[in-house]
Amino acid sequence: MIGVAPPEHDPAAPETAATLPVGSPATVRRYVGGLLRRHRRAFVVLVAVNAVAVIASMVGPYLLGRVVDDLAAGARELHLGRVTLLFALALAVQTVFVRLVRLRGAMLGEEMLADLREDFLVRSVGLPPGVLERAGTGDLLSRITTDIDRLANAMREAVPQLAIGVVWVGLLFGALAATAPPLALAALLALPVLVTGCRWYFKRAPSAYRSEAAGYAAVAAALTETVDAGRTVEGHRLGRRRIALSERRITEWTAWERYTLFLRSVLFPVINVTFVVILGSVLLIGGYCVLRGWLSVGQLTTGALLAQMMIDPIGLILRWYDELQIAQVSLARLVGVREIEPEAGDPGLAPEGRDVRADEVRFGYREGVDVLHEVSLSVPPGTRMALVGPSGAGKSTLGRLLAGIYAPRAGEVTLGGARLSRMPAERVREHVALVNQEHHVFVGSLRDNLRLARTDAGDAELWTALAAVDAEDWARALEDGLDTEVGSGGTALTPAQAQQIALARLVLADPHTLVLDEATSLLDPRAARHLERSLARVLDGRTVVAIAHRLHTAHDADVIAVVEGGRISELGSHDQLVAADGAYAALWRSWHG
Amino acid sequence: MQISDLPYRDPGVPDARSGPRFLWWLGRNQRANQLVALGWGLLHFCGIAGLPFCVGLGVEAVVDRDGGRLLRAGGLLLLAGAATALGDTMLHRAAVTNWITAAARVQQLLARKTAELGSALTRRVAAGEVVAVSTGDVEKIGWFVEAVSRFLAAAFAVVAICAGLLVLSPALGVVVAVGVPLLALAVLPLLPRATRRADAQREKAGRATELASDTVAGLRVLRGIGGEELFLGRYRDASQEVRQAAVHSARMWSLISAVQVLLPGALLVTVIWYGASLVQDGRIAVGELVTVFSAVATMLYPLRHFEEIAMAYSFSRPSAKRAARVLSLTRDAHTAARSADDSPAAAPGAGAVSAPEPGGDLYDPETGVLAPAGLLTAVVCGDPDLAGRLAERLGGHPAGADASASVLLGGVPLDELTLDQARTLVLVQDKDPVLLSGTLRELLDVPASGQVTAERALTAARCSDVLEALLQSAPDGVTDPMDARITERGRSLSGGQRQRLALARSLVTDPEVLVLDEPTSAVDSHTEARIAEGVAELRRGRTTVVLASSPLLLDRADRVVLVHEGRAAAFGTHRDLLRSDGRYRAVVTRETEEEQRRAATEPVRRDTARPGALAEALRGGHGDGLMGEHGDELMGGLTDRLPDEFSEIEESA
Repeated sequence: MIGVAPPEHDPAAPETAATLPVGSPATVRRYVGGLLRRHRRAFVVLVAVNAVAVIASMVGPYLLGRVVDDLAAGARELHLGRVTLLFALALAVQTVFVRLVRLRGAMLGEEMLADLREDFLVRSVGLPPGVLERAGTGDLLSRITTDIDRLANAMREAVPQLAIGVVWVGLLFGALAATAPPLALAALLALPVLVTGCRWYFKRAPSAYRSEAAGYAAVAAALTETVDAGRTVEGHRLGRRRIALSERRITEWTAWERYTLFLRSVLFPVINVTFVVILGSVLLIGGYCVLRGWLSVGQLTTGALLAQMMIDPIGLILRWYDELQIAQVSLARLVGVREIEPEAGDPGLAPEGRDVRADEVRFGYREGVDVLHEVSLSVPPGTRMALVGPSGAGKSTLGRLLAGIYAPRAGEVTLGGARLSRMPAERVREHVALVNQEHHVFVGSLRDNLRLARTDAGDAELWTALAAVDAEDWARALEDGLDTEVGSGGTALTPAQAQQIALARLVLADPHTLVLDEATSLLDPRAARHLERSLARVLDGRTVVAIAHRLHTAHDADVIAVVEGGRISELGSHDQLVAADGAYAALWRSWHG
Repeated sequence: MQISDLPYRDPGVPDARSGPRFLWWLGRNQRANQLVALGWGLLHFCGIAGLPFCVGLGVEAVVDRDGGRLLRAGGLLLLAGAATALGDTMLHRAAVTNWITAAARVQQLLARKTAELGSALTRRVAAGEVVAVSTGDVEKIGWFVEAVSRFLAAAFAVVAICAGLLVLSPALGVVVAVGVPLLALAVLPLLPRATRRADAQREKAGRATELASDTVAGLRVLRGIGGEELFLGRYRDASQEVRQAAVHSARMWSLISAVQVLLPGALLVTVIWYGASLVQDGRIAVGELVTVFSAVATMLYPLRHFEEIAMAYSFSRPSAKRAARVLSLTRDAHTAARSADDSPAAAPGAGAVSAPEPGGDLYDPETGVLAPAGLLTAVVCGDPDLAGRLAERLGGHPAGADASASVLLGGVPLDELTLDQARTLVLVQDKDPVLLSGTLRELLDVPASGQVTAERALTAARCSDVLEALLQSAPDGVTDPMDARITERGRSLSGGQRQRLALARSLVTDPEVLVLDEPTSAVDSHTEARIAEGVAELRRGRTTVVLASSPLLLDRADRVVLVHEGRAAAFGTHRDLLRSDGRYRAVVTRETEEEQRRAATEPVRRDTARPGALAEALRGGHGDGLMGEHGDELMGGLTDRLPDEFSEIEESA
């Protein structure tokens, strides 16, 4: 066999930097240990049930050996009836217990898997908002889909099957040794071949299979993207390029298929040779022993049949072992999320009053590069403030600091005299809420989508909130009203409607201070203004900091802060700023004609 | 066909009339490989079948105290073992090759079909189906196509073993020959139910994954406003449902396992009971009994292939049906004929119309919208949906081509040109352009005139902060933003950043006519003004249509058309229309009705209340000095004068 080198391009290599930590081997070991301890009882039951099934399966060869012995000795009385009955009985036991093994194995695997995925989500929803903002949700998303999927196979099949396989081989070998010790030694002759072959294989296999799977996923992903971008592809005449891309992905994927096929082309003969060596040496060495009178023919028969049975568990172990290795990598990524310290905060810290203040705040996403420079700002209770300015000036960053999502590098942001960054996220959001452009509609009913803001809200309250954001009309028109399934797969909502839902949640949560980051940017401009006005009526008396692309939002605000280059360059009411004839005034004029 | 030869240069024209026909077509196309797999399979199974005979021979030799025969049995065993090993490995190679070539062929067919359907996909339910075929069905189709040759080899082996037993020991052979078909068929009635349960489990698992990823995707919302417990509870329920469904499914599979132990076991018991009595009566030898016992035990392996092929077929039939349906989709009849081939001569009817001379006006007879050649025309609609439909019409070959008259470019109806010709002449950037994943360089590498560099386009679309953001999220070692990767749909970027990259891509293309539908709706006003300037500058002398409602964009247009109730109702410059047309003013300034009424009754107070307007009036009216001094600083050279621009256009034309 000519060797095949692993392809150079690795589709499993990360394309963007991993934004969340990956668990260390120690953490993974600790976690697996905990998982096994939690399911200790089920594990013991599985092993015991399996042992019974295997022992019952060995009764046949044993009985046949006895019969052969008797026949070879020319015995007159074979007790065939008794032998048949015993065999049938053993078969019945084996049947029942094989069923139990399969079932118990699946139950154990499924329970561990459910534990694992639920654990992971519990951890994920406890992540500090600042970590989420920085890391984005992409990395987390790939962990909960791809990695959980990979683990599913391992937990559902590999762990129970490996346990079964190991017990099985052990018992068969034990039985072989009990039947005739020389035969057990003969079977061991195959061990060097197996060990050498497997070591070679398992050193290469797991990462190769990971790349192969990623390569195959990339084929489908390229096509999915072409479908998703149908209009763009046609408009830009990218059809041929997309076909070429799909074909390149196929080339990359099949290169890995070819490599793993090569790996198996080495492994398969190794397994087959192992098997033949076991069978051959048992037959020949055993036969020699019989000829020498050290063993009976019956012992040889039983031994040969047991040796023949060994192929199944050996195949089982090899089949699932690499699955387990692949799973290990995924597990490390899942467990890694546990290494993020939940932001404890100071539970005793509570704001007194509703004054929002920023004092000489400096902040940057990267070491040494500040986005905000000594920003000071005071927002008295009930003020409606608009932040305007060019992209990248730091408006959204300032908004997030005011909402307590990031902690300033220097200076402090306080609410009612208490530092926001020291308060736990759950406390902060009782007082301050941030609504941004991210208008996520959750899969589920419209009711669930609203109720998350106030879990005990009744339908009447939900309708009031919808009315406050001009959403009542379309919501009433939905076929199932609040029970309508929305989100991906359900009734499709327009981006504008999604944004209205986000705002309705805000009305329900009813914090006294709100930060709206482009909260109405997706609405048709006139509807946006109407919505902002009806929202203003509901939010009357609340402090609102609105980050605005559209100048009418600024026009309607009490105070406007122009943010430029990480500093506040102008501050005042619309009329004051227009009269000052600065940057804002210039923009306003070109806007309004 | 080797794996290394993939992809196919031409995946062929599939027989997509029905699912089974499609499967047949796939299988027929890899006849040679199927035969290879069949051959190796026969060797493999014959080797396996030979093993028990060798063991029987060995035991027989020992019983007869014949060392020479024992050695010969050992030699035969090695031979059979070698055949098994070689057959096993080569069968596996051939089978996997068949699977991969079939899967690759279907994926290639899908890629071609998708490219052909293009925008038609967004209008059809088909989009989901194409994805479903690509992600799930291909595997199942490949499985069945590949399993056929293995099944045939296994079937042949089973028949051969039975025949061998009949010859060797007719009495026992008959028992086995009768028992084996029963074994092969016994679990078949259980399989449909088991696969149904497995499907139900998969569906539940898919639902749980969807819930989890949905929760994670909206995690920032949850953490910001609460409701984590509500969603955790929901996920726990879904996760437990998956567990129960999986156990439910495992019950059926464990029953199948039990049957697979019980029935062969029963056959073995029968063989021992009947065989031993035959030996006792001296009708067969002891070795033959061992051989038969061993052979029955061995036959279980090829017998599994009977179950597998039944399962593979039941899984792949719906998959093949769906694949056939997707592959037989066509773009709507009107354009299908022309898009089938890119060369105009081959397209029926298209040869009659040749491409317009460059430099013609774009005119839509349906709405009366006119975009003069070489100018930047803005169209104000008021209704975003209407604007979207108008943009699509302007590109020619609109969706669901009805009887309405085609848009004319230089007097030539676009609908009469080939799809490719029309798309080359006019590029329509819709409201939601998709950023395809890849590096920024790849994103901007689109079919283009070659006159506009990526750098110029990025500068005109004011993308400098996007480049920075891309570099920030790139892995270490990437220093050129052109090498930074854009994730799928540009999800890691903000809406405004995505819009600007899409705009840069359209600018690079540099088509004769560029139609932009709300290209800056998510961009802040400061940047929007600068983009308007950049685009006008870059597209100078080329025909550009912008469907927009932002004054900052409209102010840069050479000509603004107001579409009211589906017809071009007024045109002029932004400032003219702002003064002269109430409908226009209402759409563009987003004044509420109340404000408009007030404006109508108190025109004088309104003007004097705004010092800017007064200053402007003093400086001499529209088109000149759009902003105050600070505005100039803020926005660079936004104060270019329209008359200058006209003269330059004339020069370049």
